[in-house]
Amino acid sequence: MSASEVVLSAVGLAKRYGRRDVVSDVSFALHRGEVFGFLGPNGAGKTTTIRMLVGLVKPSRGHVVIDGHDVGKDFEAAMRRVGCIVETPDLYKFLTGRENLEHFARMIGEGASSRIEELARLVHMDERLDGLVRTYSLGMRQRVGIAQALLSDPAVLILDEPTNGLDPAGIREMRELVRRLAGEKGLAVFISSHLLSEVEKMVDRIAIVHRGRTLAAGTLLEVTDNGAKSLEDLFLEMTRGETV
Amino acid sequence: MRVMMGLVENECLKILKRKRFRIILIVLAALLCLVVFAQNRQIQNQRKDHPERDWRAQVEKRAGDLERQMNQRRGVPQQWKRWMQYESARLRYHLSRNLDPNVLTGPMFTRAFAGVGSVLLIPLLIAVFGADLVSSEFAEGTITLLLTRPVARWKVLASKVAAMILFTTLTLVAAFFLAWGISGFAFGWAGWGAPILTGFRLGGASLTAGLDLSGVRSVPLWLDTFAAWGLAWFSALAVGSVTLLLSVVFRSAAAAMGTMMATLVGGTILSRVASDWDGAKWFFVTNLPLPDFYAGLPTPFEGMTLMFSTLVLGAWAFAALVAAFLLFTRRDVTA
Repeated sequence: MSASEVVLSAVGLAKRYGRRDVVSDVSFALHRGEVFGFLGPNGAGKTTTIRMLVGLVKPSRGHVVIDGHDVGKDFEAAMRRVGCIVETPDLYKFLTGRENLEHFARMIGEGASSRIEELARLVHMDERLDGLVRTYSLGMRQRVGIAQALLSDPAVLILDEPTNGLDPAGIREMRELVRRLAGEKGLAVFISSHLLSEVEKMVDRIAIVHRGRTLAAGTLLEVTDNGAKSLEDLFLEMTRGETV
Repeated sequence: MRVMMGLVENECLKILKRKRFRIILIVLAALLCLVVFAQNRQIQNQRKDHPERDWRAQVEKRAGDLERQMNQRRGVPQQWKRWMQYESARLRYHLSRNLDPNVLTGPMFTRAFAGVGSVLLIPLLIAVFGADLVSSEFAEGTITLLLTRPVARWKVLASKVAAMILFTTLTLVAAFFLAWGISGFAFGWAGWGAPILTGFRLGGASLTAGLDLSGVRSVPLWLDTFAAWGLAWFSALAVGSVTLLLSVVFRSAAAAMGTMMATLVGGTILSRVASDWDGAKWFFVTNLPLPDFYAGLPTPFEGMTLMFSTLVLGAWAFAALVAAFLLFTRRDVTA
């Protein structure tokens, strides 16, 4: 297993709703053990892209391969290798955190339920796991959501705007958790965001997406000409100063 | 297979934890108490009014009243006439066999409730938990998690169908035991072996032909009840399947439930008022009272039989499930 092994590749993804191209050409690859930032202004097609990555939306063109399995053709095998939080960490509010994890473990089978304790400790939720999700703060839901995403022991973790709505302590905790998962467990972590300053501290490589296309992709240094420009300047330049 | 069992367990857990099912049981129990109380009062009043009369005289009078109304009054809807004709003939037949048609025991009440309940009450209760099954996953946002786990979409929906069947069955079983248990306090729990005359049928299309008695036979009450509740269960499954389709179509449980309730109430009204337009016999709601059709009560439209209604309901259930699967497995899940 080399460090540059590709665990997720999106090739020429496009999605058309009626006569509108929400995503017209998005391609990128994720490698084992890296944190990948997927940046773009609101409405750039980030969420639609993520929904295509995990099979919620069927691409009009292009395909997604996760750890060797095509999402469109071999859905179950591909989903076994990925965990995700799309938009908000929505869990069953009328169940406890533990019941939620058990619920999703049953969908995975293969001893996923035996990992619940370990994952709860990992996200520092082991003490509150038996409370109803209804009583959790957003940060706690986010953490249980990540524990859920890790139940199937995936190769890829997909997080959509993971720091949205978190307080500064929560943001720092999230950052540390993401770095740890990539560093210690060798996960590829995909993070979408429009908050540049947050992403800069977390990611190894980035892709900038605008109007449904990937405009630039590479390491932070590559994209910013060895740091000649700030990521913010570059981002605003590329997205022509549209509000983010 | 292990995973499939787990999925069904998940769906059952969610139905139970949402507490809707408990509300259904409470509503059922409360309504049954009310009905039993009202019926008990009625019987006691009748006894008070005519303490001396024997049952034969009462039944004779009732049959006579019905026949007079039927023949005298003009402008009586066709359907009422058919019912009056049926009822008077049924009473006369009981008289000729020297059996009291009005004796009410807990088991008799339970048998009758299968027919009454399967028209509106049980379908409404099933709509209450069935409307939730898929739409709530969309409304609460959990659909994104549910459909990004390593389980194909058709399996997810299949587990929901299984849960629907399970809880529909449970609703019927609960309704049966609640009906028997509660009515037993007023009318006694015993009497399952009583002979029941069943198989009355209106003779042909003409009103004057009277009742076709060739199919009338005596069966023990428990057997008659078993058949009636089995048919009620079949109706309920058809309602559950249509509800499930609505739950897939709508993203809000309220919209699914509202549509289902409007359909049920609308269909019931339809079968009461529009007996001339027999196209309504193809609508699933008009076919729901299978236990009544089995008992030989007149059907709301010409050309309906127990077999016809069973097949129509089966076709609706099948079509609804196919549509639900096609929609659920192909639909893009957007915000």
